[in-house]
Amino acid sequence: MLNHRRFMVGAVLIATAVAYLVWAGIQSTAVYYFEMDEFLGARTAHAGEDLRVKGWVRTGTMQWDPATNELAFELARQDGSGAVPVTYKGILPDMFAEGREVVVEGRDDGSAFRARQVLTSCPSKYEPERKGA
Amino acid sequence: MADLGRLAICLALVCAVFSAAASIFGALRRRADVARSGEHAAWACFGLVTLATGLLLRALLARDFSIEYVAAYSSSTLPTSYTVAALWGGQKGSLLFWAFVLTAFGAVVLWQNRERNRELMPWVTAVLMVVAGFFLALVTFITDPFERLPHAAAEGADLNPLLQNYWMMIHPPSLYTGYVSASVPFAFAIAALATGRLGDQWIRTTRRWALFSWFFLSLGNLFGAMWAYEVLGWGGYWAWDPVENAAFMPWLVSTAYLHSVMIQEKKDMLRVWNMVLVLLTFALTIFGTFLTRSGVISSVHSFTQSGLGPFFIGFLVAVLLVSGGLIAYRLPELRTTGTIESFLSREAAFLFNNLVLVGIAFAVFWGTVFPVISEWVRGVKITVGPPFFNRVNAPLGVLLLFLMGVGPVIAWRRASPQNLWRAFAFPVGVGVAAAMALLLGGMPPGLALLTFALGLFVLGTISQEFWRGMRARQAMLKERAPQALARVVGKNRRRYGGYVIHVGIVSMFLGIAASSAFRIEVQQTLKPGESVKVGRYDLRYERIETSEDGHVSRLAAVVDVSVAGKPIDTLRPEKRFYKKPQQPTTEVANRWSLREDLYLVLGSYDPKSQLATLLVYVNPLVVWIWIGGLVLAIGTAIAVWPSALERRVPVSSGAFEAERA
Repeated sequence: MLNHRRFMVGAVLIATAVAYLVWAGIQSTAVYYFEMDEFLGARTAHAGEDLRVKGWVRTGTMQWDPATNELAFELARQDGSGAVPVTYKGILPDMFAEGREVVVEGRDDGSAFRARQVLTSCPSKYEPERKGA
Repeated sequence: MADLGRLAICLALVCAVFSAAASIFGALRRRADVARSGEHAAWACFGLVTLATGLLLRALLARDFSIEYVAAYSSSTLPTSYTVAALWGGQKGSLLFWAFVLTAFGAVVLWQNRERNRELMPWVTAVLMVVAGFFLALVTFITDPFERLPHAAAEGADLNPLLQNYWMMIHPPSLYTGYVSASVPFAFAIAALATGRLGDQWIRTTRRWALFSWFFLSLGNLFGAMWAYEVLGWGGYWAWDPVENAAFMPWLVSTAYLHSVMIQEKKDMLRVWNMVLVLLTFALTIFGTFLTRSGVISSVHSFTQSGLGPFFIGFLVAVLLVSGGLIAYRLPELRTTGTIESFLSREAAFLFNNLVLVGIAFAVFWGTVFPVISEWVRGVKITVGPPFFNRVNAPLGVLLLFLMGVGPVIAWRRASPQNLWRAFAFPVGVGVAAAMALLLGGMPPGLALLTFALGLFVLGTISQEFWRGMRARQAMLKERAPQALARVVGKNRRRYGGYVIHVGIVSMFLGIAASSAFRIEVQQTLKPGESVKVGRYDLRYERIETSEDGHVSRLAAVVDVSVAGKPIDTLRPEKRFYKKPQQPTTEVANRWSLREDLYLVLGSYDPKSQLATLLVYVNPLVVWIWIGGLVLAIGTAIAVWPSALERRVPVSSGAFEAERA
């Protein structure tokens, strides 16, 4: 019969290594992902932690200075309520606009959310934007 | 027109269902006539889906904006080539296109096997038609590509500007081809399980299909990476986005299968494992399609919330249950007698290569679905980003590279000290010499250095194989060197084609290692006339140029590039503003060379102060990733080319040792 034991030792070693790498990787890179509502509820509990928050850019709050590349806006629910100020310094993503859905990644310092990264979802590849919207 | 298209889809679905039912009935009751009618229905299904696809294409080209799909994904000013690409640019069209490719491959399989594999074919037909039926049911009942608007639109909404480039013409079709052709080995595997003909027959029949599928998955992934690199303007080519992972996972498992199947052919081992890999590859293609359409996992690709998710999950579960059940049912017959005698053997190296590949696939899978799982288990979404994938996969990738050098040259069964010396003295020397040279040249010790050393070690084993094969022929047949080399490759196409593919993969490894470890990234805001130094380049921002046409207005920064005071180029990174839909896009200016890419993005421009912010990346050796892809294509062409020695009998291990000695 197959020399099971010897092979199993190697297989278990590789499986363990993969499992360990996955586990350690998740431990050190995992970031909470909150919808706007969840974030508003958990804001104080997670202050100062790395977070990802999905919300909408509140209309009328976007300030962008192309000379300094500083961006400030309010992240809110889709209806504009529950607004939280966000600051970001860096290149403005092409898709960024008021009313759009965005994901911000960074930390909340109590007064404002300091974003390291602002992710915009492209108007979907598989679905046109709502007509008339 | 639209009604005819809809009718064709409905009839195609009926044909697929009938074909599957008749094929299974014919196989179970041994009624060849019924099975035949199942095949005929499969042909009819192919014809009808072709008709429907043709009609949708015609509607697109005729700019028939009364059809919702046409109005949503094209416009009267969209160039013809992108209008064709709009066929797979949206959800509905891409599902129909999928069904078209699948039934077309089904027709090819029926044609290839019209005289052969008669016992397997009813089951093959049934499986392919069930899969086709699934997609046809989606476009029949859930998302109708021929849906009419209540009032014809005056103008279409146009294809997303990000998709308006030539990658859209080649990337999705390559990926679909790879995805869909994975159904063929799967169908034969199920047929083998259903009929109990578990020998090598199904494997030999589908060897080319598996390679074909693997090749197009490779191309699809590479084209996707090139697209991201050239179009998205963030300086990289791979972001571990769920959509990318969805295409990467079946590639990994398919790669594992191509290797382990050799062990089955040569040593009659791993039959169960091979079945599992074929099944898994197919399941991952369905899973990938599910990921991109269900909205389950958030991604920068922003999936649609189309409600297709449950159907894909249901289909996936059914596929896993049926194939898992069949494997369990045949388990006693799938057991094989081969043994692994030693760690130091080719069998072991191939097995470990398989485990590492599947391990990487598992890690990618886990990272991709982790948000969903953590939400189930703990009630909160926890995401992992590119750092997770890089950390986990870099060591596994290095291990894989090492095994890629060991596997092809180590002896079968049990390597003797003499064999190890003979096989590895030269390549190890090359690897060590490379490591020393790079260290002396100033490369810091780390994963990149290790990758380079191992890459050269692998190249050492491969060139040694070519050299020895050539010398052996020269010694025996007194041929001249080029002739001997050509002949030895020609007589062992699969083996040497595989080696060439390995060279391509090594090239990619080197490109990825160098561009991840040594890339330079600088963001600088400049006034006209100001300069910034990045790496060895001096970049001087001269002025902004603007231009405009009916479709788009452009803003280009003119940047003079010089090295050591000598001007070498002028680059023009752009911002474009599409008028419909109104949206800015980034046009990267990339000056590539074998050594490094100078990659320039116009980040922002302030008309008042004339300040422009440039993003400058110096990405070393990126071109070698694309060159690797080209080499991989050449290797695949060598491997699939029909040769005189097509039907190799599996050699007993004793005979093989004699041959190598």
